[in-house]
Amino acid sequence: MSKKEEIQVDEKLVKEIASLARLDLTKEETETFVSQFQDILKYFGILNELDTENVPPAYLSSANKSVMREDQIEESVPTQEFLANTPQSKDDYVVIPRVHIEQ
Amino acid sequence: MLLNTHELSIKATHELLSKRLISSEELTRDYLERIQRIDPQIQSYVTISEEVALEQAREADHRFKTGEGLTPLTGIPYSAKDSISTRGVNTTCSSKILENYKPFYDSTAIQKLKSVGAILLGKTNMDEFGMGSSTENSGFFTTRNPWNFEHVPGGSSGGSAAAVAAGLAPFALGEDTGGSVRMPASFCGVTGLKTTYGCVSRYGLIPLVSSFDTIGPMARSVYDVALVLEAIAGHDPKDSTSRVESIPNYSESLRQAKNLRGLRIGIPKEYFVEGLDSDVDSALREAIKQIEGLGAEVVEVSLPHTQYAIPVYYLILFAEASSNLAKYDGVRFGLSERNGDSLLDVYLKTREAGFGAEIKRRIMLGTFALSAGYYDAYYLKAQKVRTLIRQDFEKALEACDALITPVAPTTAFRIGEKITNPLDMYLSDVFVVAVNLAGIPALSVPCGISNGLPIGMQIMGPHLSEEMLLRIGHLYQTQTDWHTKHPLCWNN
Repeated sequence: MSKKEEIQVDEKLVKEIASLARLDLTKEETETFVSQFQDILKYFGILNELDTENVPPAYLSSANKSVMREDQIEESVPTQEFLANTPQSKDDYVVIPRVHIEQ
Repeated sequence: MLLNTHELSIKATHELLSKRLISSEELTRDYLERIQRIDPQIQSYVTISEEVALEQAREADHRFKTGEGLTPLTGIPYSAKDSISTRGVNTTCSSKILENYKPFYDSTAIQKLKSVGAILLGKTNMDEFGMGSSTENSGFFTTRNPWNFEHVPGGSSGGSAAAVAAGLAPFALGEDTGGSVRMPASFCGVTGLKTTYGCVSRYGLIPLVSSFDTIGPMARSVYDVALVLEAIAGHDPKDSTSRVESIPNYSESLRQAKNLRGLRIGIPKEYFVEGLDSDVDSALREAIKQIEGLGAEVVEVSLPHTQYAIPVYYLILFAEASSNLAKYDGVRFGLSERNGDSLLDVYLKTREAGFGAEIKRRIMLGTFALSAGYYDAYYLKAQKVRTLIRQDFEKALEACDALITPVAPTTAFRIGEKITNPLDMYLSDVFVVAVNLAGIPALSVPCGISNGLPIGMQIMGPHLSEEMLLRIGHLYQTQTDWHTKHPLCWNN
């Protein structure tokens, strides 16, 4: 677990994460996050006190049996009703800005 | 009629409605008028659904006229946290990114309340997407604690708790991801139930952390909470984690309850440590004596991994929330900033304008915890420690029937006190988050007042032990009157 103890949060890391998260942070936000993340991750480091080598991860909150069922045809939501919340639509389609390939 | 309808319990209101001494429309108008008059000071509601409410009230009155389809909640008004989808009524999660979003379907919980003829008064304020412990992170405004307007109501279901405490709804639906029902219930002096994960359908609940989120009732007594739970619990094929086969008759079981003989209650020593306010400590010790007086055996137990619950909870929350919030991109619904050139600009500008600071912070931390190179050290580690915390509860609840702790280490803090230090705010959740990691139910019951602010007791039990938790809380409320105390604005 040495990697975690070594983690240094800097502007470069915050910017990389922001890009992955599709967040366009202001300069102030980036600076605030650098210091706050350092504190928060340092505090979270207490988890390293525990040896979890042989502990299985808990992905489900409770043991569930399979909930799959046969496919059924049901009435779906009318397209116009669905599109009522859509910022921009035309002829039953969602409109977005043109997607072009960046070099 | 010389009658303050907001002071009545659900049971008493139901009797008036049944005898037709009051109509649901009159009752609903009373509440709407009270909201108009008092809520500007408290700001518990984000949306008031007057038209829908009056229409539903007239429909309920028709039921009373014909005597058909009557249940204890028929004609009773309520409010719902703004993360619970309501058809045709704004559902914003108190976020600018969903400010004008109107769902085209009802969540199952709302649908069930509709089917018994309950009346939706409106939607209540919350920390944006449930991220916060005070409602200060609402994208719109901060709700005030009805007991003291300078203090927070708790969060994230702060609006729901404040509305019930101020007499602006007889009951409310809240949603608990990491204390979001129990903590505000405790801060506002009302009764709140965090249900077992899978007990109430999550269909139509806008997710924060899919593996923690639960819908639960908040009301003025355990008995009223039981009436609401009866109406909303149950299996739903639309929620793959729904796991209740049959719903007990909770209120009937409360009517039969006599004492707590034969129950063993554990007091986890890790919850009575430094940092616990001395008034909270003594209120809890007094409450535990009352529980003992009802016939329960009280023993000390240990939940050895308690101190790790906060980092585990927040790491999993950050990760799951960052993934759940990826869908807010300005394309299919919600806010959309279109003043850029490319699709990427729409994503970036929409999310920049639509999300508050805390949301961005958590999305960032979650993206980090899930990213290549850090996943094992943070996310996987947290999921492993979650197993240890769950095992703590399994062991403690093998030796005991239920556990009793404080809900929060202090009473409601001041508005502004913790908002600039996110870590400090996270630590206020120290007694409530472990329950969500284990997926078990927990009840928050008022048990004292310190400097004019309420104190709450938390009663936790094994999966699907709601009936027992309600019994303990109900018998406690037959012996004490903390749940009948109200803030000054109650009398306005």
